[in-house]
Amino acid sequence: MIVARGLTKTYGDKKAVDGIDVTVEPGRVTGFLGPNGAGKSTTMRMILGLDRPTAGTVTVNGHRYPDSPAPLREVGALLEARALHPGRSARDHLRWLAVSNRIPVPRVDEVLELVGLTSVAHQRVGRFSLGMGQRLGIAVALLGDPPVVVLDEPVNGLDPEGIRWVRTLARQLAAEGRTVFISSHLMSEMALTADHLVVIGRGRVLADCSMSDFIARHAASFVRVRSPQPADVADLLRRQGLDVVDEDDELRVQGLDPAAIGELVGKSGLYLHELTLVRSSLEDAFMTLTAGSVDYSAATPVGAPR
Amino acid sequence: MTVTTTSRTVTLDPNRNVPGVRRQGFPDAVRAEWIKFWSVRSTTWSTVMLFVLGAGLTVLVCATSAEWLASGKADESPASFVTWGMMFAQITAVVLGALIATSEYGTGMIRATLAATPRRGTVLAAKALVLSSTLFVAGTVTAFAGYLGGNWFLDDHGVGVALTDDGVLRSMVGSGLYLAVLGLFALGVGVLVRHTAAALSIVLALVFVVGTMVFLLPGAWGEWIGKLMPGNAGSGVATPVSFNPDLLEPWVGFAVFSGEVAAVLLVAYLVFRRRDA
Ligand SMILES: Nc1ncnc2c1ncn2[C@@H]1O[C@H](COP(=O)(O)OP(=O)(O)OP(=O)(O)O)[C@@H](O)[C@H]1O
Ligand SMILES: [Mg+2]
Repeated sequence: MIVARGLTKTYGDKKAVDGIDVTVEPGRVTGFLGPNGAGKSTTMRMILGLDRPTAGTVTVNGHRYPDSPAPLREVGALLEARALHPGRSARDHLRWLAVSNRIPVPRVDEVLELVGLTSVAHQRVGRFSLGMGQRLGIAVALLGDPPVVVLDEPVNGLDPEGIRWVRTLARQLAAEGRTVFISSHLMSEMALTADHLVVIGRGRVLADCSMSDFIARHAASFVRVRSPQPADVADLLRRQGLDVVDEDDELRVQGLDPAAIGELVGKSGLYLHELTLVRSSLEDAFMTLTAGSVDYSAATPVGAPR
Repeated sequence: MTVTTTSRTVTLDPNRNVPGVRRQGFPDAVRAEWIKFWSVRSTTWSTVMLFVLGAGLTVLVCATSAEWLASGKADESPASFVTWGMMFAQITAVVLGALIATSEYGTGMIRATLAATPRRGTVLAAKALVLSSTLFVAGTVTAFAGYLGGNWFLDDHGVGVALTDDGVLRSMVGSGLYLAVLGLFALGVGVLVRHTAAALSIVLALVFVVGTMVFLLPGAWGEWIGKLMPGNAGSGVATPVSFNPDLLEPWVGFAVFSGEVAAVLLVAYLVFRRRDA
């Protein structure tokens, strides 16, 4: 379990993390989502005691990370930067990590096998592709068989097979009762991996809820109704207590599914030309939620196709 | 590890890996640093260079100067030649010392290091121990090898120096000590500036350039600053008879040098302890 209370980090006059209160529970995958520069990596560095919070606290299993008797056995982390010396072999990298935390050295070969790097274990990591480096980072995170796993953009640079592998791994780790905290800026990826979501923008928590709540709350859906008698249909539906918006020659109805709407309108003898369920994508929902807090957005060129 | 088997929901004791595990200690950090130190090529190369420069140049200069030293025209003592190459071996000690700190910052490794061993004093002390013990052994062995090789030529011309002669044995062990502390100096500066090139420039400039130039300062205080500069104070212990008569007594100078390096390391520790990784 990871608990952050009023966690704040200021770099100069820039508030990278601004009073975050988050509890990451064991037994489920918690997705940590936010646009570039939202403060995800900074938060994770503070969890690991690498950066000192300007204010507030963050604890892992009830204590500060640096107070752990053997931190790699308690928290496994994949950090954003590769944090590797290019001249060292993958095996040597894992070996010194294991030794520093009294992890039996045979475990090194076990995790190499697990991430599929056994055949290149003796190669210098400077020659590794982005994806191989990422796999080694995951091997590092799993080295101590830790009950808490923190992964900063683990799918970055992975091929589709690798992405699916990380997804399955994360879900399995959570199913084993571990605390799994994964950052990403891809809503679609998190929708498939996470049970719980923490969304941040400009260092503040914008949403902290289960994935299904998030979908229900933010991925707004409505039924598009077209009719040659729009005013009558709108009247009819409003009398049923439904929320009806008249827009662009169509009615947007919320509060009832298409079948029920069709039956209502049919009983009253009015005509329908279209009846469609429109669901905005999760990606749209995420964009809408974080729209006000994007630091680095690309300008859309004038006249570009949308 | 069970992640490759079918998933099952169990309640995991969040501390299950921790009780029964003894707290990671200084020896663990030292072993980890030792593996790190010797698993990159730059360490092997630098150590080989240390030996080649230190012993090789000593032998070379003794071989070429023996005749002149024996001629009676020489105004230098033969004893000042038997550790001659160590002057150049210093450079590799500085490189090793700087790299053990700066290579971690250049690559982002420092985050892995501090995640594995969050106690920063422990990390710094482990690095210092691994570096200084390596340099002490390499420096002493190199100085002996240079002495044995170089003295063979000096003996040949009847101007050889015995191990029992004044300061000879001291200079062998002193070479190891001087390189060890010089390496620590570079480590301290490396932790402070975090860039390889900057750390190397600062230490090499202080030891080789500034250390020589301050003797040009006028008056008694100029002479004292010269005596107290790190390279000047520390290197005396590594030569049986110094080329430079203005230096402090060998052990006094070495004590001054060690004090200066201890101060640099203390500042480095205080900064390192508070800094974001
Ligand atoms: N060491 C630092 N010094 C100064 N500013 C920093 C530092 N680290 C992060 N920042 C700033 O803090 C903000 C948050 O950065 P952070 O890396 O935590 O974002 P992020 O959510 O991980 O973004 P991304 O999705 O791009 O990885 C950014 O504006 C960044 O410029
Ligand atoms: Mg990031």
